[in-house]
Amino acid sequence: MKKYLTYESNCFHTVKKALFIMKLTVVFLMVGILQVSAKVNGQTKISLKLNHVEISKVLRTIENQGDYRFLYNNNLKSISAKINIDVNDAGIKEVMDKMFSGTDLTYKILENNLIVVLSSTLTLQDIKITGKITGTNGEALQGVSVNIKGTGIGTTTDNAGNFTLTVPEKGTLVVSAIGYISQEVGVNSESVVNIKMVASGKSMDEVIVIGYGTARSRDLTGSIVKVDGKVVADKPNSNAISSLQSRVTGLYVVNDGTPGSTPDVRIRGTVSIGQVHPLYVVDGVFSPNIDYLNPNDIESMEVLKDPSSLAIFGVKGGTGVIAVTTKKAKAGHTTINFNTSYGFKKLVDKIKMANAAQFDTLFNQENATNGVPTPDYSFLTSNTDWIDAVTRSGIYSATNLSVSGSSENNRFNMGLGYLVDQGIIKNQELQRMSISLNDEFKVNRSIKVGFNLIASRNNNPYDVTGSGTDVLNNARKIMPQISAQTKSFRVANPYNNSDTITTNLYSTTDAALQNSGVQNPLIQLQNEWNKDIDFTSFYTGSVFAEINFLKHFTFRSSFYANLSYQDQRIYKPLYNAYNPVNDSAELQSQVTQVTQNTNNNQVYQQDQILTYMNTFGNSNLTVTGGFTTYYNGVFNIQGISRPYTNGAALPIPDDSRFWYMSNGFENPAQSTTTSSQYENSTVSWLARALYNYKQKYYLNASFRSDGSSQIPSKNRYQQFWAVGAAWEISREDFMQNQKIFDYLKLKGSVGVLGNQSTPTNAVTNLPINYVEYPQLNTGAGTVFGTTPYNAAANSWVPNPNLKWETVASQEIGVELNAFTNRLHFEGTYFNKVTDDLMTFVDRRTLGVPNELINGGSIRNWGEEFAASWNQNLNKDWTINIGGNITFLNNEVQSLAADLPTGYLDETFQNNGSAESRTEPGHPIGSFFGYKVAGLYQSNVDILKSPPASSLGSYGPGDFKFEDVNGDGVINSSDRTFIGNPSPKFYYGVQLNANYKGFGLGIDLGGVYGNKIFRTWGSLESPFQRVNYPEFKINSWHGAGTSNWDPIISQGHRFNYNGSTYNIQDGSYFRIRNLQLFYTFPQLIAKNSWCKNLKVYINVQNLKTWKNSYGYTTEFGGDALAFGYDNAGGAIPVTTTAGINITF
Amino acid sequence: MKTYKQMIWIFAVAAALLITVAGCTKFLDRKPLQATLTDLNQGALEAQSFGLYSTLRGYAGWSTLPWLDFNSIRDDDAQKGSSTTDGAEINTEFETFLYTKDDWATDTYWNDHYAMINQANQELYVADSLKASDEASLRNIGEACFFRAYAYFELVKAYGEVPLLNFYSLNSKDYVKPKSPVPLIYQLIDSDLNVAAKYLPVNWVDINNNNKYPGRLTKGAAMSLHAQTHLFRSDWAQVVSYTTQVIALSQYSLDPNFPDIWKDGLLGAGKNGPESIFEMQANIGENGTSSFGVQWGTSQNVRKGGASNTWNLGWGWNTPTQVLQNAWDSLDPRKAETILYSGRSDGGPSQGGYGATLPAYNPGVLLDQPYWNKKVYSDPGMRSFTGQVGASGGADWINHRIIRYADILLMLAEASNELGDGATAASNVEQVRARARGGSTTALPYIPFTSQAQMRTAIKNERRWEFAMEGLRFYDLVRWTPATDGIDAPQALGTLGYTPRNALYPIPQPAIDLSGGVLVQNPNY
Repeated sequence: MKKYLTYESNCFHTVKKALFIMKLTVVFLMVGILQVSAKVNGQTKISLKLNHVEISKVLRTIENQGDYRFLYNNNLKSISAKINIDVNDAGIKEVMDKMFSGTDLTYKILENNLIVVLSSTLTLQDIKITGKITGTNGEALQGVSVNIKGTGIGTTTDNAGNFTLTVPEKGTLVVSAIGYISQEVGVNSESVVNIKMVASGKSMDEVIVIGYGTARSRDLTGSIVKVDGKVVADKPNSNAISSLQSRVTGLYVVNDGTPGSTPDVRIRGTVSIGQVHPLYVVDGVFSPNIDYLNPNDIESMEVLKDPSSLAIFGVKGGTGVIAVTTKKAKAGHTTINFNTSYGFKKLVDKIKMANAAQFDTLFNQENATNGVPTPDYSFLTSNTDWIDAVTRSGIYSATNLSVSGSSENNRFNMGLGYLVDQGIIKNQELQRMSISLNDEFKVNRSIKVGFNLIASRNNNPYDVTGSGTDVLNNARKIMPQISAQTKSFRVANPYNNSDTITTNLYSTTDAALQNSGVQNPLIQLQNEWNKDIDFTSFYTGSVFAEINFLKHFTFRSSFYANLSYQDQRIYKPLYNAYNPVNDSAELQSQVTQVTQNTNNNQVYQQDQILTYMNTFGNSNLTVTGGFTTYYNGVFNIQGISRPYTNGAALPIPDDSRFWYMSNGFENPAQSTTTSSQYENSTVSWLARALYNYKQKYYLNASFRSDGSSQIPSKNRYQQFWAVGAAWEISREDFMQNQKIFDYLKLKGSVGVLGNQSTPTNAVTNLPINYVEYPQLNTGAGTVFGTTPYNAAANSWVPNPNLKWETVASQEIGVELNAFTNRLHFEGTYFNKVTDDLMTFVDRRTLGVPNELINGGSIRNWGEEFAASWNQNLNKDWTINIGGNITFLNNEVQSLAADLPTGYLDETFQNNGSAESRTEPGHPIGSFFGYKVAGLYQSNVDILKSPPASSLGSYGPGDFKFEDVNGDGVINSSDRTFIGNPSPKFYYGVQLNANYKGFGLGIDLGGVYGNKIFRTWGSLESPFQRVNYPEFKINSWHGAGTSNWDPIISQGHRFNYNGSTYNIQDGSYFRIRNLQLFYTFPQLIAKNSWCKNLKVYINVQNLKTWKNSYGYTTEFGGDALAFGYDNAGGAIPVTTTAGINITF
Repeated sequence: MKTYKQMIWIFAVAAALLITVAGCTKFLDRKPLQATLTDLNQGALEAQSFGLYSTLRGYAGWSTLPWLDFNSIRDDDAQKGSSTTDGAEINTEFETFLYTKDDWATDTYWNDHYAMINQANQELYVADSLKASDEASLRNIGEACFFRAYAYFELVKAYGEVPLLNFYSLNSKDYVKPKSPVPLIYQLIDSDLNVAAKYLPVNWVDINNNNKYPGRLTKGAAMSLHAQTHLFRSDWAQVVSYTTQVIALSQYSLDPNFPDIWKDGLLGAGKNGPESIFEMQANIGENGTSSFGVQWGTSQNVRKGGASNTWNLGWGWNTPTQVLQNAWDSLDPRKAETILYSGRSDGGPSQGGYGATLPAYNPGVLLDQPYWNKKVYSDPGMRSFTGQVGASGGADWINHRIIRYADILLMLAEASNELGDGATAASNVEQVRARARGGSTTALPYIPFTSQAQMRTAIKNERRWEFAMEGLRFYDLVRWTPATDGIDAPQALGTLGYTPRNALYPIPQPAIDLSGGVLVQNPNY
């Protein structure tokens, strides 16, 4: 790198330096962009006449003519020599030669008319320099390596970002840090060199977490996306996975509005008919979810998607892995970080239900259709927006404190967190306290030990989505005429009949109009929300010892435990509500009851890993071998305690002191306790080799043998493997002369992974935890003498040949960095075929035993593209743009041959008319039903159409279903595939712009091409009177009035057949996140106690564009049925403001 | 020195590996943390076997009105009973022999027997696919074979030729089969009962002398049924062989007191007595809990008619006829122990009663029938214990004694007599008569053998009195046809309308329709 010697005096070092960097940047950029067309152009003619002028001024004059630029050092004495020059239409060489004649200066013309001016005699001295390295937002960067180019001499910055180094006067510094673009900076004889780093889209040398170790991204042949912990730390999501939505290719996240709940996550499609969610690996321990993790404790999250990365996880790798690394102390001094954020959640995109007037209109219309009089409900005079009545503006608040420190032998990190995450439904609130603690201690040069502990305690939110208490669902069902207000009544004390109390009561429904299937959601919510004491405690801990020996070997032994314990006590109180029909109080809840649940989940794991790392000439090899065991035990107990109910008996009091199974009020004969429990374990051997030759040719191979307690002994051990190769083309000689690509790699991998699926017993609908030991159907009873015998039968026939599903997986891709690492691009094609689907073959209807068998296959394939661009526009402006898109295809290729129907299906309530069907040749879980061609407009229309009476009686205003098979009759064989719940593609865009201390981040995201099935507004139980959706106002009420929304009548069961009427577009585009922040740079310089101070505001889900009637289009589910819009899932806009201080 | 170190390392690593690998097998050996089928100590087929017992008890064609219609009401000694209007069609169909081809009772009888056959077929199919060979499963196979044989035996008695379905298929069309000749059906019965006798235990008594499964099928039950099937084929030597084997099992004996056979008291008193070989199991717990009830007892107990709820004991079907009352010598103690008289004392404990006096026979006003079947007369203690009393009256706990030891003796007597062994015949008849006469010196004198014909008639009569109201007589009469002693179907039932074609019931029309005509109706219907 050349030195740019300016004429400014040394007292403006700092400014100069910054300008210098900026200019260099521009030069780099121009060099990069123009490289293809650039040529050495010495043809421009120069005319010049100057007398007694400093050479430097002459050079500037030439520069001002526009075609040439000069690089020189101000310290050159001759540069200030005064000369006379007079040229006319001269070539540059002629000019230069004339100008330098009689001086000790020489020159060199480079590409792009850049001319370097050199002294032929100057000798350079070593100088001592200091400097500070800062990040994009001005924050101090610690651990940045600063090296003198070409020497191997260097240092790293301390935790304040400072460094000191002795450098040759003419030397060049190479500054590099993970996550930032490496810079080369010339030392301008200056004693202070401050450098601002620019974040890179991806550094090939960043270290990422892979299974059982770490590796440089460059050395791998697979697709691992690393997400920095900062991305999830300041987002208002209590579950960190939610923050990954739209950010990572291949990762599909469906959020819901319940605080803390696990989103439906699928990596590269739906690979199984059973288990489809990824494995979470938190600091090495396998976890079923990361619900317990404080997002602020996360250092990074790696999403592993390809066979080459996943084979090391063997039977648990088939669905992908999300590896989470929690924060550890970094080398340097003590750091204390405090951050807090506070904000509000607001419901938007409300579903539109009829108001009182619209209800009246539609109800009258329906009664007229049915020929029945409309009952008198004129005494119900409210016009309640029930969705408003049950929702509120919720609060999100997160506060974290962390302390970390390190010395030569010890690294210590501690974090504390407290979070309050309120749902938008009244009284729904999650609270979480968390601590994390880790320490790493170097015993001596070769032995290191450490521990890691994460503990959290969740105060779980009141369940507002249970089947009996679905608040949002009840809110849309209840008539607007019912009041949401309370009214004061004097009633008998339900706990003591001799006493009366004055109390505020909610209104019930008018039972004549809306029966028990519809209820005022506020009655239960407001009376019971605080009768549910529900805590879950999580403890994840590990200890390890690591020994380096014989130079090349490292042995690491780790023991982990991941325990969770849920303690829930639900009390059913006694309370009244008033009946609006006769304006009198009624007891709503007759008998008290205590439900006590304890759920205990234990994971114990050990990893014994030996790593060998060596270099042989041009070959670099890392071999890892290991042995690991895993145990998971789940132990649940549920008890119900009921009081005596005879005359003088007392109810269980409304006092949490008594909310236990044995409370002294219980009737043992009426109280029950049940439990469920299972255990499973795996024993595994694993091996991996990472090899490269000259860092050009890469080979990764991995292998794992998993022995599983769940599989019959014959197939107990199953083997999984993957091989990957990559070619870093950019290191080839023929690439050295081009300037576009800084990094170019082709890669591909193939492998066979496993999927430890948990099939569902179709008889009991329970998960099957022991495939080898059939669950029992009990109740086939008889009696001998007077002794009853309950016999049990196996729910299925044991299958000694059963094995885990396998996922044969391939991918091929390209990764590149170009334009001085400003552009990063990755493109990948992947293909996965899951075979031997573990299938529960339900043959009850045939009277033949059920069976668990391996059969069938599912293919998922698609492409992923991600690109990012980073740029410093000038001294103050930096921008970063990133985008990603994932195209997805899914096809069921075959199913188990023994399935009696040839397909698998899951049906949704009401006559099973909403059906998700999994059938060969179609995407998994496709919606299946009739195609609506319109509505019958008249009896003539009916006569002209194929008969459909096998679906029930019908008339004008009812659906005209398409005769799909063309047999002239509409019947159940005209049902067909009417929608695919999986998206065609999903995408995200991230825009980040920084101006001085200000920063703006915008995340956009969306999905396209999936269908959702709306069950509300069409498939409600015909026995329930529910409020009408507003769009029903346009329903058919006479010939020509509508050709889509059928006649309103609960009696017209014909229209309860699931059809394209229920199908809606699931595509959406969302402003997922918007963040504006400011970092106070002056504090960094002036107050040593405060290293960094950042304030920000963040808005999540600011706006969503969609095409459905529901709150959202995001609906998860299980492998075979997902995408049902049951009038729930409201996703709020969350606005938070926060402050982050580092001391 | 270095080699030593290396060797120590190698040994240490090898030892660690060995320990680990050995430990892994155990670590991976996990069974469910609750009972599996094996832990319940039942074969893989136990539930299916129990299902067969449930079918026997729960299906009307096996346990209540249709069974009574086919087996008992058709004979000269029993009639429908009940009230005039209740089940009037049964009178026509089964009392006057105007058989109907499509009616609830007749269709049910056919269907329920095939239901049992299909269930047994399915169990045997599962057994086959599981290759079940453990002792418990083999016993279950024995039970399935027994029930299949029993079903076919009842079918062949009722209909003659019937379709032989001894397989299991997923395709209902496979079940459309023409009728098989009677010998082929008996062939299946023989082989099934051989399997049953081979696998079923002699008894279910454990080493602590507890009978864990009183009333569950045994080897003796299989051999007894086998004897009956040979009796219906007049295969006398086989009858002798099987009955002799049953006797040799030493598991059964005549209950010393005839009325005690029919006790169905508290705590199961009277059920599965010493004489019981095959008995339908039923039970009702306190206040109706633990309900494994059957309508067998309810369908036959005293119908209250116009009387008070005290006498709401049942529906009053299958009552003794005037013919039986008239023909039966009152000196035979069994008469008062079998017929319960309206308007009289029930005779107290010595005659199988409880000391109550029945309301008078007065159709429409008090009781609708003069005589009732005392063999199912319910125990008042059980009525209040079970809560089947008053308006909820019934007797769902009463077991149907299907095969009892007295039948073994009389079958042996009959077969011996036919084979010319008069002495054996006489001694076995005497055993039954001796028990019946109790302490009486006047009633039921010893009948010495004088001729085959004389002994044959004596045996026929003995069967009539011993098994009155139990549903054996109609098929006995058919079996004895033609007879010269006046005891066969045409002679005993002719006055009721019986003609030779009535020996076989017509196949239900729905079954014929379902078969698309493959099934051909019995002759003369």
